[in-house]
Amino acid sequence: MDASERAAPYFAAAARGVLALQRCAACGTAVFPLRERCAQCGSKELRWSESRGAGRVFAHGRLERSSLPEHAGKLPLTLLLVDLDDGPRIPARLAAGAPAVRAGDRVELGFESAGDGTPLPVFRAVPA
Amino acid sequence: MTDSFSGATAICGLGMTELGKVYGRTASDFAVEAVQRALTDAGLAKSDLDGLLLNAGISQGIDLSLAQTLGLGRLSLLTQMQGYGSTAGQMVQYAALAVHHGLARHVACVFADAPLVEGERAGQAYGGGRARRPGLGSVLPSLGFLGPIPFYALHAQRHMDVYGTTQNQLGAVALGSRAWAQRNPQAQMRGELSLDGYHASPWVVAPFHVLDCCLVSNGAICVIVSRAERARDLARPPVYVLGVGQAHQLQWDDAVPSLAQRSSRTAFEMAGCAPSDVRQCQMYDCYTFTVLTTLEDYGFCKRGEGGPFAASGALAPGGALPTNTGGGMLSSYYMWGMTPISEAVIQARGDGGDRQQRADLIAVSGNGGIFNHHATLVLSPHARS
Repeated sequence: MDASERAAPYFAAAARGVLALQRCAACGTAVFPLRERCAQCGSKELRWSESRGAGRVFAHGRLERSSLPEHAGKLPLTLLLVDLDDGPRIPARLAAGAPAVRAGDRVELGFESAGDGTPLPVFRAVPA
Repeated sequence: MTDSFSGATAICGLGMTELGKVYGRTASDFAVEAVQRALTDAGLAKSDLDGLLLNAGISQGIDLSLAQTLGLGRLSLLTQMQGYGSTAGQMVQYAALAVHHGLARHVACVFADAPLVEGERAGQAYGGGRARRPGLGSVLPSLGFLGPIPFYALHAQRHMDVYGTTQNQLGAVALGSRAWAQRNPQAQMRGELSLDGYHASPWVVAPFHVLDCCLVSNGAICVIVSRAERARDLARPPVYVLGVGQAHQLQWDDAVPSLAQRSSRTAFEMAGCAPSDVRQCQMYDCYTFTVLTTLEDYGFCKRGEGGPFAASGALAPGGALPTNTGGGMLSSYYMWGMTPISEAVIQARGDGGDRQQRADLIAVSGNGGIFNHHATLVLSPHARS
């Protein structure tokens, strides 16, 4: 299985607006990005599961320059690190047009499409 | 073991090539020159050298074949190490342990890199342009996480959100380094820098301006580690290794003790000293922000108070805790962990010239990955009494 095939369940779920994570069948630990084994217990039985997509902003920052052509004309972009309630800390972006967030803010997941169609995890603040 | 190890070994040789925008030479060529310079500095012959630890930088231009290039035919210790920015500190630690226990007599630790190519932007060397990868590998760059800068910038912004750290306080670190660099003839960036000039520097990933990020440099630095009693018979005053420590973790953790706290505590305890005994710091300043967090974690100020501490002028010339007295990686040269170590050796020997500061006890840090790896050295011109 090559890298694209291994990631196929992630992309299929993303197309439905859902974040798919691997979860260890033995101990339940969420595994992301893709790994061969659970780092907690060493089991190789990893199953795809769906994250609820809720979490808290660990950190944010503003991308002002990029060497990638796909970012041309789109800068600045707000980058996020989000601590998922039911998973690890993941890199993401603030949803286009969403209000600014700060460390500690509650956020919920969506997806936006990169220039080449790659689904990108994005978050926006949960209304208080 | 702790008591007998502290001060039992020393850095006896330092070799630095020309550093910075030095074009047309390979990393291997720089490495050979640095080792030769360190041997000459120590007053050792090549045949005295029986250990070689090496660390290739981003250009991966040196490997174990360096032993052949150097003609070192009878080594007792030879390996290539990788702990990113913590590697240099680690090399000195493993070299010190090896000479202390008799595995080798004189161990050269060398870092060499040559990522700068004439006519190309420095940013190209570190994750600027990166080939697309299959599978999930395309998500990270598409999001905009290119190289390490975004990760560090976001951690800095978190520090601002949580503790109220300001842009001016990050700027104070950059200004302090520049003021020191102006006293270092080898520094790459020696022009005047004002706070206005800092703010005018282009954004990369806010809150980082270009001037919050370290330079990219070509060159090599080598130090030679020996047992203290051997070092005392050599050409230059020994720089004693009083304490060493490391810590590693999977990601930034707000919990106390943190990564750098664990590493520095081990080193300070071994050295039998407290942060208040330290006269100067040589901190791994890959970014202005890492200086703030390292000062906090080492105990020079409380967590969250690194910004005001820097803004008070403490780190700059004339300040209470002279830090990165050679200009650091922000303004002088980026030789990974060898930048702070080499400056500590220069200061401990009293060779600092216009930038010489009190150097009785020097804290040296190295951090690698995104707060994943940390190494601490406590160095001194004085053996422990």
